[in-house]
Amino acid sequence: MPKIINISPFNRVEGNLEIRVELGQEKVRNAWASGVMFRGFERILIGRDPMDAIVFTSRICGICGAAHGAASALALRNAYKSKIPKNAYLVQNIAQALENLMSHLLHFYVEFAPDLTNKRYISHPGYQELVNRFLPFKGTSYLKAIRARRSMLELMGVFAGKWPNTLVFQPGGVTNSISISRQTKALGLLRELLDFIEQDLLGCKIENWLENRSLEDLETWLTQARHQDSDLGTYVRYGRELELNKIGQGPNRFLSYGVYELPEGKTWFSSGYYDGKFHPLEQKKIAEYIKYSFFKGYKGGLHPSEGLTEPDVDKVGAYSWAKSPRYDGKVVQVGPLARMILDRDPLIFDMFSKLGPSVFLRVLARIHEALRLVRQIGIWIREIDSGKSFYKKPRVPIKAKGMGLTEAARGALGHWMAIKDGKIQQYQVITPTAWNLSPKDSLDQHGACEQAMIGTIVEDDGNPVEIGHVIRSFDPCLACTVHILKR
Amino acid sequence: MVNLLWLQSGGCTGDTISFLNAEQPVVLTALKMLDINLLWHPLLSLEQGEEVIGIFNKCISKGIKLDVLIVEGSIIRGPNDTGRYFLFNGRPFKDWVTELADVSQYTIAIGTCAAFGGIVAAGPNFVDATGLQFLRRQKGGLLGEDYVSGSGLPVVNVPGCPCHPDWIVETIMRLVMGKLGVNELDKFNRPKAIYRKLAHHGCPRNEFYEFKASAFEYSQQGCLFEYLGCKGTLCESDCNERMWLGRTGSCTRAGFPCIACTSPDFPDGSVPFFETIKVGEVPVTLPLDVPKAWYVGMANLAKLATPKRLKKNAVSFRRVE
Repeated sequence: MPKIINISPFNRVEGNLEIRVELGQEKVRNAWASGVMFRGFERILIGRDPMDAIVFTSRICGICGAAHGAASALALRNAYKSKIPKNAYLVQNIAQALENLMSHLLHFYVEFAPDLTNKRYISHPGYQELVNRFLPFKGTSYLKAIRARRSMLELMGVFAGKWPNTLVFQPGGVTNSISISRQTKALGLLRELLDFIEQDLLGCKIENWLENRSLEDLETWLTQARHQDSDLGTYVRYGRELELNKIGQGPNRFLSYGVYELPEGKTWFSSGYYDGKFHPLEQKKIAEYIKYSFFKGYKGGLHPSEGLTEPDVDKVGAYSWAKSPRYDGKVVQVGPLARMILDRDPLIFDMFSKLGPSVFLRVLARIHEALRLVRQIGIWIREIDSGKSFYKKPRVPIKAKGMGLTEAARGALGHWMAIKDGKIQQYQVITPTAWNLSPKDSLDQHGACEQAMIGTIVEDDGNPVEIGHVIRSFDPCLACTVHILKR
Repeated sequence: MVNLLWLQSGGCTGDTISFLNAEQPVVLTALKMLDINLLWHPLLSLEQGEEVIGIFNKCISKGIKLDVLIVEGSIIRGPNDTGRYFLFNGRPFKDWVTELADVSQYTIAIGTCAAFGGIVAAGPNFVDATGLQFLRRQKGGLLGEDYVSGSGLPVVNVPGCPCHPDWIVETIMRLVMGKLGVNELDKFNRPKAIYRKLAHHGCPRNEFYEFKASAFEYSQQGCLFEYLGCKGTLCESDCNERMWLGRTGSCTRAGFPCIACTSPDFPDGSVPFFETIKVGEVPVTLPLDVPKAWYVGMANLAKLATPKRLKKNAVSFRRVE
């Protein structure tokens, strides 16, 4: 008889998640990921001043609120057809990059690595070292990482004033004009952050790490003792010994909207869809399904610009408050791994080509992206020209449609809005976690994380740590699974 | 040792993230300093699933003394008071909160959602969200007007969207020291020491405010009150004195308006957020406790005396004079 494991609450993720897996001979045969909370954000925005969306949508999620704020400002900018000055791109990119960077480091040290101290690994020769480093509230690296947040938080203070819930992003640019004294302060704080990264996370200069352009380079890097002894070196060594590279593959399709807008119209991280080949992003191919979600009102898929969200708590067969977004009808993964693949990042794309996706690579891609961001933030801070403007007041139409596609820490984030008579007529959000943690769709295709769980061997059903690794490798954020209603 | 349980109800995790942002003292130092034994926190703890339910049940049966219960996020009561929009281990979360609040020595609502309903209770309030003991200005909420925790205190409200990390640490400190009695709470059960100030206090744009030298567009240096929606003169908080993120910033320091996020009326009492509604030349929302006639008189006088330096700087994105 199959055995069911139910984990509720599933913690060390953002928001409220419930996980159910069915085991047959130690192997996960079926899996269900459920968002268990509905906040009805969808109804709140209808009929409001379009600008108010920046305030409300920032509060969808406390950890990626700047990304929501940026997405909604971008949707407004797109609707208003307004332009922003070069400095505004820079400040926006810095603030978004800081949020993603903080989220990635918090995820690694506070949410993911503590599972490496699980008693399952007690017989592994490295167990004591893992506990010494990563045990919550006690591990040396855990404590250092919490302290290292200071420099990132203060950097955020310089550019965004307050966080979570900054309102610095506007359709006409940013509200904050950056002086040379702020640039100076920011560069000092960044240097402090680099000290932590180079001493503790890497054991080398950030440039040395970024010179790793292939799996072979990584193996060579790992031969040096001080690299082995760093937090990342420890993860790369034990992560493979604990076989994190053999679980949690998920669908072999990846999506990124691209992020960090550049004034010339491109994004610093490229957008696209990858299914073995690279394709340009076509947002018209996005649709959301609700067969297994607690919603009613339509069959098949709807594009988010026409999305519908009518709750039905009694719906037979439904098991999640998340909808199921699909790209061209396909299940895709989003997040740092997808971004690095679509950006053709040499190191991550090489490892992906040789080894395929896994828990191990998903977590490594997240840290690698964080390191690329640290370096780029410094470049952007220096590029700000304090003598030039940061904002240009837009002309506001009373009827328009807009779309804001960006990337939050956890992956592709889209806002679609329609304005009529100067008020919000429709607003729809598809979050990264909806892509990754969605339930099954109309074709009964499992969501990405469900797929990643199926086939996983669970050694001890009383302590299913493998499931923890797989789910946390996606860094789910259930606070984000909201949908916005068309009246 | 202070046993503390932190629950996340209908919210966004923003107050937890803000708590992790504590710098003076740093969050881990604060926990040590207050001798807190964290029974469970959804983002930070190792326990999950049935282990968590075990902790809850032990608190409810008084096998563990629950000294401090912190709730973040609004309480979701819908549909039809069933609480089924948010089930926790198959049970309405609001029922867990009620039972745990019955056995706690102190109950603290962190953030505007837990205190007053906040963002989740905005507009049509489709999910029937409420704060623990208030819905907006109305007393009652989930636990009822007469609720008191073991200490005899009502729910202590520490609003803010998000809540400033220092406000959380300080409130626990005041409670543990026995320095937060009923008389130290305002009419919305917020600690007076924090919420009797205004976000306006310490705002670097105060000279512009005094002389009504106003910014017309964002990124300009002038006061944001007259045209750009700033509610700092009526928002009860110490944001601009205390500042955020290691004392590096605040809303108005980064050029965007205060939206009075500590108010029981937030967010609907603060809309539109980005422009000031006026009748003639007079803003509809005047500074706290300032009579309209006096405001008009003072504003007109101030405008006659505005130094040229302020007039120029007010509408520039950097200091030009």
